[in-house]
Amino acid sequence: MRQHTRHVLIAICCSVGIVAQMPLGAHHSFAAEFDSTKVVTLNGVVTKVEWTNPHTYFHVDVTDDQGKVVNWAVEGGAPNALYRAGWKPTSLKVGDRVTIVASRAKDGSNLANATSFSLPDGRCLFAGSSGPNGDATTNCRQGGR
Amino acid sequence: MTRDARRGAVAAALLVVAVLSTNATAQWQGYPTPGIPRKADGTFDASAPVPRAADGKPDLSGIWMAPRIRVDLSQGMKRGDAVPFTAEGKRIFDERRATNSKDDPGARCLPTGIPVRATLQTPFKLLQTPGVTAILYESRTQFRQILTDGRPLPKEVDWPAWQGFSVGRWDGETFVVETMGFNGKVWLDQVGTPASDALKITERFQRRDYGHMDLEMIIEDRKMYSRPWSTFAELLFQPDTELLEYICEENERDSARMVGK
Repeated sequence: MRQHTRHVLIAICCSVGIVAQMPLGAHHSFAAEFDSTKVVTLNGVVTKVEWTNPHTYFHVDVTDDQGKVVNWAVEGGAPNALYRAGWKPTSLKVGDRVTIVASRAKDGSNLANATSFSLPDGRCLFAGSSGPNGDATTNCRQGGR
Repeated sequence: MTRDARRGAVAAALLVVAVLSTNATAQWQGYPTPGIPRKADGTFDASAPVPRAADGKPDLSGIWMAPRIRVDLSQGMKRGDAVPFTAEGKRIFDERRATNSKDDPGARCLPTGIPVRATLQTPFKLLQTPGVTAILYESRTQFRQILTDGRPLPKEVDWPAWQGFSVGRWDGETFVVETMGFNGKVWLDQVGTPASDALKITERFQRRDYGHMDLEMIIEDRKMYSRPWSTFAELLFQPDTELLEYICEENERDSARMVGK
C-alpha cells in the first residue's frame, strides 16, 4: 500500500513536470560518453553535491550486495535546466537518501548520467539528461519503478 | 462595474497573487513579465498581435526558446530535402559521426554553431534597438550583435571569428540576418554538420503573432555543400522568466572522458 501511494505521488509529480516546459541545453554528445543501454539504479546516500556548469554532479555512496560501499559520481543537467524544473541548489543535500536511475559511462568508471532522482518522500526530480533515456515525460516514472 | 472593468480587476488580482506567490529567492523565475498581453485569467496571450517598434517594423524583442531540443540541423529540413554535402563535407561529417562527436568544440565550452543555438532548448533574449539587435544566449552566456545601421557585410575578413560578423535588414515583415567571416572551427550542430571559413548563414526571423516566431536558416558553404540549404525552427516567446547564468568553464569534465564509440 505504501509502495502504491509512493507510485501515485511519483505519477503526480511527473504529470506536473510534463506541463512545465523544461529546457535541456545539451552541452555535449551523450553517446560519446555514456551508454544508454547500460542503465543502473543507484540507491544510496549523497556524499557531495556540485551545483556547477556545464553539469551538476551528485556523489552517492552505494552499498553493493557484498556490503561494500562504492562512491558513484552522477552527472545531472545544468543548474539552469534543473532550476527551471523546480530544483534548488539545496534540493539534494549531503546525507539525503536517493534512488537514481542513470546510464553508465562508456569508460567503465563509477560515473553515470542521471535519468531521474527519486526521494524517499515520494518526490521525483527531473534529471535534465539529454540522453535517449532522458525524456522529461518518462524519466520520473522510470525512477519510480 | 462593467464587465471589462470586472475582468480587468480579476486579471489584476490574479497578477498580484502570482507576484506574492513567487518565492523571494526565485526572483527571476515566475515574476510576471510586464507589458505583455494577457488573457482575462492573467495568463500570457500568445495569439495577440505582433508588437511593433517605433519605426513600425515588428519588434522581435523578448525571450525565445524552441519547444523541443534538436541537435541535428537535418531534422529541421523540409521533407524530402537532404544536406547536400560535397565529398569533403561528407568525409568530415562521417568521421564525426563515427566517433559520436567526441571532438565537438562545444563540449569543451567553445562556442556552439549559430544554427543549433536556436534549437538547443535553452532560452535566448533578443533585444531590438535602432542600429543594433543583440541576442543574449543563456547557453554558455554567449552574445551576438547584429548591426542594422546600414553597413554592408565586410568585403574581406581579416579576422575570421567563431561567430562571424552579422548585419541585419528588413525584407517586408521578415528580419534578415546575414553572417560571414567564420574561422572554420565551429560545428554547425552537435552531430557534427561541418562548416569552413567559406560559411555564410542567412537567418530569416518572422514573428507570426506575439508568442510565435518562425526561423529559417540558410547555410551556404561551397567547400562543404554543393548548394545552399535551409533548416527551419519554431520559437516560442517565454513569458514570466529571465535568463540565468551559465558559466560553462566552471566544471567541464566531460571532454576528457569522451571515448567516442
